[in-house]
Amino acid sequence: MTTAYQEPAGADVTLDELYQDPYPAFRWFREHDPVPWIPAAGRYLVTRHRDVVFVDTHPEIFSADEQGSLVTRVMGHNMLRKDGAAHDRDRRAAEPALRPRIVKEHWTPRFQQNADDLIDGFIENGSGDLFRDFAGPLSARNLAAIMGLRDVADQDLQTWSQALIDGAGNYADDPDVWARCEAASLGVDAAIDAVIPYLQANPDGSVISAMLHADEPLAPDEIRANVKVFIGGGLNEPRDAVGVAAWATLTHPEVRRAVEADPTLWRRVFEEAVRWIAPIGMYPRQTTQEVELGGRVLPAGARLGVCAGSANRDETVFERPDEFDIDRPPAPHVAFGGGPHFCLGTWAARAQVAQIALPTLFRRLRGLRLDEQDPVRLGGWVFRGVLNLPAVWDA
Amino acid sequence: MPVITYVQADGSTSVVDAPAGTTVMKAAIANDVTGIVAECGGQAMCATCHVYVSTPDSSSLGEISEDENEMLDCTAAPRTEQSRLSCQLVVQERYDGLTVRVPEYQV
Repeated sequence: MTTAYQEPAGADVTLDELYQDPYPAFRWFREHDPVPWIPAAGRYLVTRHRDVVFVDTHPEIFSADEQGSLVTRVMGHNMLRKDGAAHDRDRRAAEPALRPRIVKEHWTPRFQQNADDLIDGFIENGSGDLFRDFAGPLSARNLAAIMGLRDVADQDLQTWSQALIDGAGNYADDPDVWARCEAASLGVDAAIDAVIPYLQANPDGSVISAMLHADEPLAPDEIRANVKVFIGGGLNEPRDAVGVAAWATLTHPEVRRAVEADPTLWRRVFEEAVRWIAPIGMYPRQTTQEVELGGRVLPAGARLGVCAGSANRDETVFERPDEFDIDRPPAPHVAFGGGPHFCLGTWAARAQVAQIALPTLFRRLRGLRLDEQDPVRLGGWVFRGVLNLPAVWDA
Repeated sequence: MPVITYVQADGSTSVVDAPAGTTVMKAAIANDVTGIVAECGGQAMCATCHVYVSTPDSSSLGEISEDENEMLDCTAAPRTEQSRLSCQLVVQERYDGLTVRVPEYQV
């Protein structure tokens, strides 16, 4: 049975409530109103697992090339907001740098070096914020390496990434946000322009090199736009996966005992962490035609917020979905999205988080435990993760 | 039209008409065959459409490309000599009667 659009109950949820903890609202929507119109977000939210998969796998109905997209405005037109052949051309140009074999053979040793260098810098302190001092800079350093950027400070890349994200969400049209965004954009462009001549003459395994030397090479402006989306969308995901997975491991002693006995289980910790708290909780799509979804008829041109964060807690797919449980029966989470826009960084993320960051952190910081004086905070629904991870260890 | 049989780990089967030009993965998705996840939609990037090809003459299915080969090293269920990614198997008339086994899990 279908229903025409009507103002549903629960739609008065505020963006602040979603930021603090979106999961109670998501649960309510999945049960009562799975594709609600949310005035505060200006979107219909897609909250059930099967509807999210349907959207992901029908790009001809659910376009990524959203009209008036702020991502396009702040970064330039890039693969995240393209469909069909235009998307495939950009993506195929970048893909050789991110396939599993090059990740294993070329990038994983770099990830290990970066993790060890960072830990060397703070291990003797005996305490610190592992979100600020480890997860963030490690993600920045790994991302710079994969892109092919050189001499970019960890903090600069993190600042640029946050500015681009803030710009992509600047529906309030805040001029300060646009100014930060413009500065970030200039910084990224300069960093890219500094490496293009070298990589043009000296191909390596990096994304920018792959784009320059693809069968259909990308032009410098196309490289700038696509690298910006990698910087906006490739830094906080591994960062937040490290943060949430480390926090979950520190608060679940049985998980910690298991991974310390068998480090191959870090892969399960990683997959369960991104299922439990998806780093990208929501991403936009726009309908190209009238379509029924989750019992609601959506008009052509409708703006959607596809909620991976809700689909990953869908009780029809995951039993006791709010629990962190690495032993749950295997079922496909949607933290990496699906279809043509399936996360291009999936294998790089699995390697840098599950193979390197988490095992290295827990192996090297002996007696690692949370700092009871300074509670861990979480925030976000479009992007979600821990905001700090104060810890102490035996120095 | 070629007919493809999917055999689940529990022994149950689905028999599907697969037009030439589609892939063994897409034919499964279009017919709600369980156990073929295909997260990436057919780009040889996710390794979640893994199947075991039980016909002896698997060479008739076409060579395993370099991309498919490296991705088969990433499957959740064990890779065997019968392993293929169903998204890389483009159905042709000679596929008629093909039987593939679906692994117990894809993730």
